Amino acid sequence: MADLSIAVRQVGEVAVLLPAGFINAHTVREFEEALEGLVQDGRYVILLNCKDLNYISSAGLGAIMGLIETVREHGGDILLSNLQDNVFAIFDTLGFTQLYRVFSDEEQAMAAASPERKD
Amino acid sequence: MAGKVDHAQFRLIIPSQTRYLNLVTGLAKRASLVAGLDDATAAKVSIAVDEAVTNVILHAYHGEGEHSVELELRFTEQALEIHIWHSGQGIRGDQLVLPDPKEYIKHPRKGGLGLLLMSRFMDEVQFKADEVSGRNECCLIKKIS
Repeated sequence: MADLSIAVRQVGEVAVLLPAGFINAHTVREFEEALEGLVQDGRYVILLNCKDLNYISSAGLGAIMGLIETVREHGGDILLSNLQDNVFAIFDTLGFTQLYRVFSDEEQAMAAASPERKD
Repeated sequence: MAGKVDHAQFRLIIPSQTRYLNLVTGLAKRASLVAGLDDATAAKVSIAVDEAVTNVILHAYHGEGEHSVELELRFTEQALEIHIWHSGQGIRGDQLVLPDPKEYIKHPRKGGLGLLLMSRFMDEVQFKADEVSGRNECCLIKKIS
């Protein structure tokens, strides 16, 4: 089994990214490329559905952090949903739950994300 | 005749390649459970080990994959100790400054979070240099309550 696989689907204006497995220094480039691809396509409202994400290290957090300003400058945002307890602990320990909106499930996140677009 | 085996500790040597991170973090998690830590704490220990080994591979060895990283797990009644040795560049004192999460959020940037996670998730994080052997050590300690 691969350490990380990433699925992407578009739901209205929201790009839903589903990373499955582990995001660490070995797999982070793949994750980064997926995020960058969305931004390059002009898809600035991004939901990270983390239901199958077992683990994220600071390398993965850095990848998200590296794009948040660009995304928000274009009226978008990066939202998070379905975080497993240990993944939530990492985000929360670093204060990222104040920087990103976190939702318990995708439905709630989608409802919040839809009015996000300004242009 | 082989020397006496200490059944409360063992070692693993891996190449300095990130492809083995998952193996090491999986081991750290299972070792934490064996030591008597709960699932949530075991997950935190595995993250701390990921960060420490990643630092060795990417910073001490500058991403060069032909070196070795040696890990030793020690099980005591009081704690799980994970010692990580390498022969690369040691960490400098000025690199041990932990970022303030509140400031980090105001001024986002890449890097600097690994040490913070290690310090938050472990009870002790120590960096040592052995001048005789030329090796450097990162020691992570999680107490068993």
